[in-house]
Amino acid sequence: MNFTKRTVIKAMAGLVLASAGLMTATAASAKEVTIWAWDPNFNIAIMQEAAKRYTAKHPGATFKIVDMAKNDLEQKLQTTLASGVTKSLPDIVLVEDYNAPKYLRSFPGAFEPMSGIVDYSGFAKYKVDLMTMNGKVYGLPFDAGVTGMYYRKDYLTKAGFSEKDMNNITWDRFIEIGKKVEVATGKKMLGIDPNDNGLIRVMMQSGGRWYFDKEGKLDIKNNPALKAALEIQAKLFKAGIVKPTTGWPEYVGVVNNGDVATITTGVWITGTVKAEKSQTGLWAVAPTPSLGIPGSVSASNLGGSSWYVLSGGKEKAMAIDFLNEIYAKDVDFYQTILQSRGAVGTLLASRSGKAYSEADPFFGGAQVWQSFSDWLSKVPSVNYGMYTYEGDAAISAQLPALIQGAPVDQLLESIHQQLSAQIK
Amino acid sequence: MGQTPKPGYRRFYDINGWSFVASALLLIATFLVYPIGKSLWMSLHSGQGTLVKFVGFGNAIRLTSDPIFMRALTNTFIFLIIQVPIMIVLALIMASLLNMQNLKGRGFLRTAVFLPCVTSLVAYSVLFKSMFSYDGIINASLIKLGIISHAVPWLTDPVWAKVVVISALTWRWTGYNMIFFLAAMQNIDKSIYEAARIDGISATRRFLSITIPMLKPVILFTTVTSTIGTLQIFDEPFNITQGGPGDSTLTLSLYIYNLSFRYVPNFGYAATVSYVIVILVAILAFFQFHAARERD
Repeated sequence: MNFTKRTVIKAMAGLVLASAGLMTATAASAKEVTIWAWDPNFNIAIMQEAAKRYTAKHPGATFKIVDMAKNDLEQKLQTTLASGVTKSLPDIVLVEDYNAPKYLRSFPGAFEPMSGIVDYSGFAKYKVDLMTMNGKVYGLPFDAGVTGMYYRKDYLTKAGFSEKDMNNITWDRFIEIGKKVEVATGKKMLGIDPNDNGLIRVMMQSGGRWYFDKEGKLDIKNNPALKAALEIQAKLFKAGIVKPTTGWPEYVGVVNNGDVATITTGVWITGTVKAEKSQTGLWAVAPTPSLGIPGSVSASNLGGSSWYVLSGGKEKAMAIDFLNEIYAKDVDFYQTILQSRGAVGTLLASRSGKAYSEADPFFGGAQVWQSFSDWLSKVPSVNYGMYTYEGDAAISAQLPALIQGAPVDQLLESIHQQLSAQIK
Repeated sequence: MGQTPKPGYRRFYDINGWSFVASALLLIATFLVYPIGKSLWMSLHSGQGTLVKFVGFGNAIRLTSDPIFMRALTNTFIFLIIQVPIMIVLALIMASLLNMQNLKGRGFLRTAVFLPCVTSLVAYSVLFKSMFSYDGIINASLIKLGIISHAVPWLTDPVWAKVVVISALTWRWTGYNMIFFLAAMQNIDKSIYEAARIDGISATRRFLSITIPMLKPVILFTTVTSTIGTLQIFDEPFNITQGGPGDSTLTLSLYIYNLSFRYVPNFGYAATVSYVIVILVAILAFFQFHAARERD
């Protein structure tokens, strides 16, 4: 009895709340574009800048930019798409490049194709390729994850290395340098989170390979780039130059508080590195170390994301127009977000803008943006496919054995087995 | 008085009774029966996102050759087999210590032992994670005290990561189980202990031969609820280790999460794994009741 009463009251309260929610939703829907994204210092701030530019020309338009943690956003998006009730979804959503093919294929009809409206020839080809399905292009390419090696000049100088010594090195050389850095400064060379295989992916892509080949077939057992990447990962740990970290805050924390001498990752980390103002002038950027195998280059990619318009959105026409006008045409916008947020866009025309040639005092007056822009054109194009995180899990499962010195060929066999069972 | 109870069928057709329970039944049907039925139906399908097809027992067959599922199952059982006995024994010992009549500050100590239970699962997991991080307070204090010379990679070593998760679970749940034991101990007739004392029985013997047998139903209850809780364990590995390093702290619930939200969404297969948990809970509970049944 008591139970009944309580649940009825709860249900009534729920109904009232739900209808209140519906009413506010309909009241607010007058030409308002809702956008979901993560990272308030990067994507959200950039979207606010874009919205400001659009509303200046179209006074009737308003934007509701919702900040969510990346995991929460993906979970919410995935559950809602699976349920088929698309009412609660926004008009525009930010999707990481690794996830894009998976969403496009798993939820057909959920995203709005924009080919025919947006001129995709103006964007970096690898971005457009991964949002193309059955001849239609979905989404608007946003930032690049071109990688570089950020390093502490002061630590390296103390160990006897000049800026020239850091240019175009291999990972083997990186390890040699790292050992000397530890002797000279007592600092580790880099932080690695064993649950995050970002660095292995960076190394693998710099060798022009991925978990899958161009046809989307599993490419593990005879993949020289993956094999080399795993061997380097093992050597890094064996050399004792790694500071183990767990979780993102700790991973960037060791960079900001000066515990490690380098971090090799996507250009989007720039804002985070620069957040520690007291280290101004102490940092420099060099090309990504190469694998030292035939076909490998000193450039790679990590992450990067794009904007997608949902087919169920109420204001999808305006959302497409907005993305097209700002992200596909406004070169000046890209200069602003580069300078304020360190966002390297994938609109090719934006790279001729003046912000790209400017010097950054944080990096001792180096033209870092020009460097990243040059490296971007060298990133080997690979087919990410839809199973990046399955691939990561298969690698992760073997990492403890790898660090304990198990033969790499045997591990590749296990990775292949797990992954082929997983991608049914 | 004097009114005879209505026969069964009359009571069955009593509209008043039905209208009283109707709202509750409706809610149960919507939020319990329907989801259970739907998830059962889902577990017979497989595919990517909304592109699913009927596979019948295909998902169950896939389970048998899925190495990640096997690892998750193994890890879950390791947690279960190591953590639950440690926790139950600790809770029993703590309860009997706190039940001593001549103990000073009993109220304070009882509160202190029970306090972990009111903390949020996520908050305490995050705290454990920072305490056990490479530069965390645990490593720092152990080095200061000279117990270890190098920092222990608590969260990045497969064995230590399990140790951390088990310690966290024990810290969080021991007090909860202790309360049940304490309540039950206070219901044991004091005269039994007095008689034993007069007969010259030692304190250890009294604990083993009187307290434990008298607490049998409560021990059964706590073991069953702890088993169920440990089989469903999600918050701690998710927040402390993310199932890593490798798959060393991956549990069944975490695998369900990964299948639904991290990997290409396969809700059908995820539902199948969740039914594995249901079946395991049922089997283990059955065995525990069977083992503890009265033998007369």
